[in-house]
Amino acid sequence: MLASSVQRSKPTPYPSKARSALIRRAVVVALVLVALTLVTISFRSPTSGALHGLQGAGSTALRPFQVAATRVAQPFRDAYDYLSSLSSAKSEAARLKKQNAELRKDILSAEARAAKYPQLVRLMHFEQEPSFPQGYRAINVAVISSPGGPFTHTLEIARGSGAGIRRNDPVVSGDGLVGIVSNVFPDSAVVTLISDPSGYVSARDLRTQVTGGVQASPAGGGTLVLNGVQKQKVVHVGDWLVTNGTHSKQYPDLYPYGIPIGRVSSVGATDTAVFLQVQVQPAANLGSLDSVGVLVPKKPRR
Amino acid sequence: MTLGDGVKAAALLFVAAIVQVSIFSQVHVFGAVPDVLLVFLVSFALLRGSVAGAVGGFFAGLLVDTASLGTLGLTALVLTLSGYWIGRYGETTGRDRGHAPFLSVAVVTALYQLGLLVVHFVLGESAPAGAVVRSLVPAIVLNLILTAPLYAIVRRLLRPHEREELTAEVQLLG
Repeated sequence: MLASSVQRSKPTPYPSKARSALIRRAVVVALVLVALTLVTISFRSPTSGALHGLQGAGSTALRPFQVAATRVAQPFRDAYDYLSSLSSAKSEAARLKKQNAELRKDILSAEARAAKYPQLVRLMHFEQEPSFPQGYRAINVAVISSPGGPFTHTLEIARGSGAGIRRNDPVVSGDGLVGIVSNVFPDSAVVTLISDPSGYVSARDLRTQVTGGVQASPAGGGTLVLNGVQKQKVVHVGDWLVTNGTHSKQYPDLYPYGIPIGRVSSVGATDTAVFLQVQVQPAANLGSLDSVGVLVPKKPRR
Repeated sequence: MTLGDGVKAAALLFVAAIVQVSIFSQVHVFGAVPDVLLVFLVSFALLRGSVAGAVGGFFAGLLVDTASLGTLGLTALVLTLSGYWIGRYGETTGRDRGHAPFLSVAVVTALYQLGLLVVHFVLGESAPAGAVVRSLVPAIVLNLILTAPLYAIVRRLLRPHEREELTAEVQLLG
């Protein structure tokens, strides 16, 4: 019996299991293909097209839910902010005392400089007409969503083309420059922050009149760098940087002159580098903005 | 999955997506953002399998992309794959195991962040690898803290299927 050959029965397939595995794979492949198609269309035409309109309509439909969620969370945020401020009140008071003393010194120093360099001040006024308040009107807008991680350097604001907001309009907060409008929908818009790696703002050091370009720091962390400043130029820690504005009508700058960008937090130079390494702390708190102002030109751009 | 289950799951993921975009996106702890949507999706996929996980991930991601006016389909792509993969884990190895939700959330949080990093890099957008790596551990810890209560909510709303209903990966013959 043992020596006789045993006929092993042919394994029977499980048609229902094979079918369900096939359906499962087909579903996931189909979903991935649809997602990739959407990414491709959205990436190739981010500011126009049917999909853009559809996304705008969807965003408008979701707005009431987002507003409701924000309102529900607001008391908890307020409570957290209150407790957080209580815990840090003592250290905050010490910091403010120190800052107060430094500011007194700064005021004295600034007055001394202003008395010493009146020609420089007159030259500045001559070169830069005070067109900033005259050429623009501000639209104050609530921020709907803030940057949600290290990938995003954008804000969503609660007004769009319906309120007269256009692409490339500068955006400010009470503290300084926030960014620029990069995408507009009828009832909302996307603001790309100055901390975005693709951003560039022509800047001027108010104290030394050195100019350069402010960009996001390659190290990340929300800090900025002032690029293109040659080593022989002088930039001090604590100097204020403002937007440089338009100097040639042929090449108008997107930002008007005089908006505070931030303060110089460190200045360094290496033997091999041609330019100074200037780090800048943004004036606006880009991580927690509740409302911003969009500067809309009174004269439409060409 | 019954119609009632589908409605409950859709409502759950809708609320999670809105809460994520409106509230939790502003909560930064040590550079990381807690992700309630991801934890809800993992819980849902573990209980309802790979197809439901993939479909849920796709529509939840689409909702996030629409609400945040981001690149449409990007979050949907990564969440679809996350939901599918965790669903398969739930159907096979992870069934009935107490540590499955925690293990899934920890692994998916890391893969989700790295997946987004890769997709952003491929699209030529900002892909700060250093910032992502630095925020990875805090993000995993935050999501693990959220896992126990959120998984309990999902498990209460969507009762787990009986063992026979789940896909058996190994067939005992004879």
